[in-house]
Amino acid sequence: MEQKTPRKVALVANCLLNQNAKVCEGARYPGLVSPVVEALRSRGYELLQLPCPELSFAGARRWWAVYEQYDTPAYRSHCRRLAQAIAPLIERHLRQGDEVILIGLDGSPSTGVRFTSSKPDWGGRPNRPQDDWEIVPGRGIWIEELEAELARRGLPSVPATGWALDMGRLDEPGSRRDLEQFLDSREESERRRDDDSGAP
Amino acid sequence: MSRDARGWRIALVSDVLVNPPVQIRTRLPEVLGVLESSGYGMLQLPPPGEHRLLLAVIADQLEEYAHHGYAVVAIGLRQEQGSGLHWRRLAPLLRHRGVALPLRHIVDSQVDAALEARRLATQLASYDLPKSEQLRWRV
Repeated sequence: MEQKTPRKVALVANCLLNQNAKVCEGARYPGLVSPVVEALRSRGYELLQLPCPELSFAGARRWWAVYEQYDTPAYRSHCRRLAQAIAPLIERHLRQGDEVILIGLDGSPSTGVRFTSSKPDWGGRPNRPQDDWEIVPGRGIWIEELEAELARRGLPSVPATGWALDMGRLDEPGSRRDLEQFLDSREESERRRDDDSGAP
Repeated sequence: MSRDARGWRIALVSDVLVNPPVQIRTRLPEVLGVLESSGYGMLQLPPPGEHRLLLAVIADQLEEYAHHGYAVVAIGLRQEQGSGLHWRRLAPLLRHRGVALPLRHIVDSQVDAALEARRLATQLASYDLPKSEQLRWRV
């Protein structure tokens, strides 16, 4: 059922709609991360769930890892396959002028948008709570490969932010405020764009 | 996994129930709300059309879940072609991977939405793997 007016579409990290995709000990909700769903749906966004690259690569019982551990040719190739699988849906929305945004997972080695996890010399057996990875600015591997696939198709970059689930202690009210600010700023810039295009 | 809050249950959901068009929205139960209150995670299926590669990717994820202690149910809409579940393509992909086909729960937009929401919630509450499988994986 196609609608003629531009739609608002949020590309959503898999685990924000399915916490079962998280690494062992990483789930903070039973299933949906409801504050993210509420913030998006109350502003009229449709949801488009991204696949989880870690789940189908390293499995449901994987340990946590940092960016450098996943930065391998095989994992990037896997992410490219996933990007090629979901890109046609994203491309259709962008080509028909829909507003598309991306909500990733800040601090994630794969799905980080503003921040990812890093420790170049990490390896071997995980040792929580002594493990001390760092949170550094930058994309995760999956988001890098997804954005590269969209660029290969000649598509514009998608405004993006991340829910801070993998940044250490989860500050849900802070994350919610942060996401709402991002969404409200999007609404403001869309409104300005509409005003400008309507100007004589 | 003591600090882990996962619910171990996942619903494969047709796109029309995730993003119901305005014209039929009020006739449908609020599926995401029911999933949330039932503690289910969601795997979203694509809208109608050819999605060969994406369905294979989804089947890979389902295989991983099915073989490691997760319960999976599929939720479709009667009024959509194939209930919006892409079953004709997805079922062989799952069989090929040795995955038992998930239980299908079909929502009917001709039935009162509140009744359908209750019927779905009841189904989800009672659905899970046998105890022996739960004990094997969920530690």
